Amino acid sequence: MHCEAFRQAVTADPAARTAEMVAHAAACPDCSAYQDELQGFDQKLRAALAIDVPPLSMPALPAGADVVPIPRRASWARAGWISLAASIGLVAVMVGNWRGSEPPAASLAEQVIAHLDHEPASLAVTDIPVSERRFNAVARPALVDVSRDIGLVTYASSCVINGKEVPHLVVQGESGPVTILLLPQEKITAAVPLRGTSIEGVILPVGNGSVAIIGNRGESIDRWRERVAATIHWTA
Amino acid sequence: MSSDTYARDARARFEAIVADLYTDMYRYAAWLCRDRSIAEEVVQEALLRAWRAFDSLRDDKAAKPWLLTIVRRENARYFERRRLETVDIDGLTGAQTAFLAAGDDDRLGDVREAIFGLHDDYREPLVLQVLLGHSTDEIAGLMGISAAAVLTRLHRARKKLIAQFANDED
Repeated sequence: MHCEAFRQAVTADPAARTAEMVAHAAACPDCSAYQDELQGFDQKLRAALAIDVPPLSMPALPAGADVVPIPRRASWARAGWISLAASIGLVAVMVGNWRGSEPPAASLAEQVIAHLDHEPASLAVTDIPVSERRFNAVARPALVDVSRDIGLVTYASSCVINGKEVPHLVVQGESGPVTILLLPQEKITAAVPLRGTSIEGVILPVGNGSVAIIGNRGESIDRWRERVAATIHWTA
Repeated sequence: MSSDTYARDARARFEAIVADLYTDMYRYAAWLCRDRSIAEEVVQEALLRAWRAFDSLRDDKAAKPWLLTIVRRENARYFERRRLETVDIDGLTGAQTAFLAAGDDDRLGDVREAIFGLHDDYREPLVLQVLLGHSTDEIAGLMGISAAAVLTRLHRARKKLIAQFANDED
């Protein structure tokens, strides 16, 4: 490692201590002193960032009766039970909230957006694809046919949206990770745009179900609409 | 497990996690929006949102990035709802001046003001690394950018701060 590379690495992270960096610091007093100086500077930054914090004031949380246990992620061997539980949950919600044959799009959109908060780890920028085995376990061929032409799938998990277990995929897009939620049982009549300060997306009607696509602002959602239409087909 | 017992246990678990991470949540929110009262509002909303989604937190060890992600999104939602402009360092409001207050420690106040003036893209990873102790990969996951981009931003953030203090001392 040469001095410039060392100083670049240390300026980005003064606490970094890779074997290469340790060896360089041991052989180069100037660079070692530079690292010490930056670590001292970081202490000042830390002190400046540690602003006073007011006492915690917990908001009034909804009563326990309002908290509905979401079915835990389970093995596919338990899918029958999950379907049953999901069906019961869905009926309860439909009777209690919207009393219609289809969930209102706004409610589905809220659940889709809220779900992004649940699994922040899914939104890593990476070039490591999920294994074929995991992909097929989540995007089950009996449920959906997802062509690998969809792109680099870096996350696949079975998640619960609206009381139903659904495939949750993340594909690497041009502006970062793009979340794709396959909602085979959520029929909608028209596309529902999703737009926030940092995200944009759409819930697309696809056959008797729908597909939610959410990317960072700047991602070309129109291109993803075309790609989804070309690569995802329900098989059930 | 009865629904009453479930709710009671869930609430106790939630409150314990929040008690542990509240300081980090508040400071993160405050440095994102650079306004203490807005930060309090953002954290309150984030706590409610987190409580509603609490059953999805399957591993308490993941609580910190989970909560910080919710704070981050709630901050974005707040500014979207209010349609506020981002803060201009040259036109500080009273609330922002209060944010920078550092008692009698002028040097600390100077450093705080310099961080305050950094662009959001540089300030946020710095807060996550220096104050909240996140690794480069964790910051990348939270911000939805690559690890290389995180390192670049951190490098530039420190360069800007160092240059500023070098100029101040000239």
